[in-house]
Amino acid sequence: MKVDFWGQEFEANMFIGCIGGFLIAIMSSMFGFGGGPFMVPLMTLGLRLPMYIVVGSSLLAIFFNTAMGSFRHYQFGNFDLVLFLVMFPAAILGGYIGPKIAKKLSPVVVKRVACAGLVILGTKLLGLF
Amino acid sequence: MNIKFRVLPIIALAMALLFAPQVRAEQPAAAAGADAGAPTINLDKTSLDNGGDFVISGKAPAGSKVYIELWSAEKTVKANRFDGKKDPKTGKIPYKFYITQEMPAFYKIVAPVEMAGALDKAKTAGSKWKYSEVLKEIGADAAYTIPAKIQIDNYQATIMASILGSRGTLLPPMDAKASKRESMKLVKVRFRSVGNLLSAKVETAPDGSYSAKVSIRSGLAPGKYNARVTAVTERIKEGDKETVKKVTSEVASFENKIAFPTVYLSTAGTSINIIWPFLLASAVTIFGVLMGAGGGFILNPLLLMFFPLPHTVVAGTVMPTVLFAQGTGIYNYSKIKFINWKLGCGIGCAMLVGGFIGPKLTEMITLDQFKFLFGWVLLILAALMFWQTTPGYLANNKKEQAILKEFKKRAAEAAKAKG
Repeated sequence: MKVDFWGQEFEANMFIGCIGGFLIAIMSSMFGFGGGPFMVPLMTLGLRLPMYIVVGSSLLAIFFNTAMGSFRHYQFGNFDLVLFLVMFPAAILGGYIGPKIAKKLSPVVVKRVACAGLVILGTKLLGLF
Repeated sequence: MNIKFRVLPIIALAMALLFAPQVRAEQPAAAAGADAGAPTINLDKTSLDNGGDFVISGKAPAGSKVYIELWSAEKTVKANRFDGKKDPKTGKIPYKFYITQEMPAFYKIVAPVEMAGALDKAKTAGSKWKYSEVLKEIGADAAYTIPAKIQIDNYQATIMASILGSRGTLLPPMDAKASKRESMKLVKVRFRSVGNLLSAKVETAPDGSYSAKVSIRSGLAPGKYNARVTAVTERIKEGDKETVKKVTSEVASFENKIAFPTVYLSTAGTSINIIWPFLLASAVTIFGVLMGAGGGFILNPLLLMFFPLPHTVVAGTVMPTVLFAQGTGIYNYSKIKFINWKLGCGIGCAMLVGGFIGPKLTEMITLDQFKFLFGWVLLILAALMFWQTTPGYLANNKKEQAILKEFKKRAAEAAKAKG
């Protein structure tokens, strides 16, 4: 498929994009997170698209998944209104404070900390220690 | 209209006549029960403040074994189980899905103190312990009554139906015996550990008077709780068949009260102090913004670790919270024409299908499987993150970011010129 962006044309392999998106959507809706950190590598590496197309479009693609996943979870009775009302203001607050701190921190350091945190969390979930 | 009003008193009279003899018949029966040595039951407290200790005491027939069944009378929760294990006898995988909405939000059986050893042994088995076997071993199966009566729906699932996101075909209700057996499995799925479901605290004197110090932990459902004593006087074994002679007491009730900021989460069946999840969610989303990704994949495992919430509820509740942030993000990008709709919607359609299937899978897997899979997802993610901090990626990223900035600037200017 040809993708037109600000006068530039790119060729995107939609077959890889759709299969990858499908699998990422199953995984992320199953565990209840967005899926952004998986979608961006898929679209930059898998589809060979430049970052500036990916940021906005991946968000749009993920939105479809989050909306559908939320609806299905609600349908299965997995949605707890009280817990949601606690989480929702916290997410807004975080989204408000986050960008203010972001300017002062190096993203590389943050990512390394996140990396270490994820390894600890992951091994803990696997019951390795 | 008029006819209806004239008929109503007659119906009422007929009903009264029908029920009156039954009421009268019941009273002597109850009195006879008391004569036959039904245990008495007394609670030293009728109200608890978000859990606490209290003493249940009374008198049971001398020499009997006393079990106390405790359950929350008002609050019920959902419990479900997917049976995908190969049946060792037939070699077939049943693919059955069991679900109930009537599981009491709290359920526990308190057994005589001498059963403590058996419970400790069961605890060493970890998550693989079998509720029905332990019940039988300590003789508490005689006191297991409340969950045995809940309504359980069972579905015949197929792989295809699961892919399409359906629970499968609803099968006819199970008979009482099968339903009781399944209820034990659901109880275990719901309450997980030996300590949550069983304790050995009842001390009995030779004359049959008993007392048990029962502790209700904090963070449970509020409202009315019931307690009932079952005293097993005799067990007669004839070959495979066992006859249990038992007498049960009346139901005694107490109230569990909770106050803000502790609130009850009705879907999760637990009450928590909302300040902690709020702080946790704030911290994680801030960190998520810094990382340039949502925080869901960190928030979910932390919520599971710190709070006694079912994984289905965690996944189902965290997911909608990011909808709003994503929506505003898309709006902001679309204002400066930074979204390729064809690309986004194309992949979005594939993700729509995936999002339809995923939540069904959450329901089918157990907490342990959820943790296992999530653990691997996080390790893959950690690898991705690490790759994003390698020098080669960073150099490339710097160039990309510069172009991105340039594009954004141009886009903003174009939007301004237009407006």
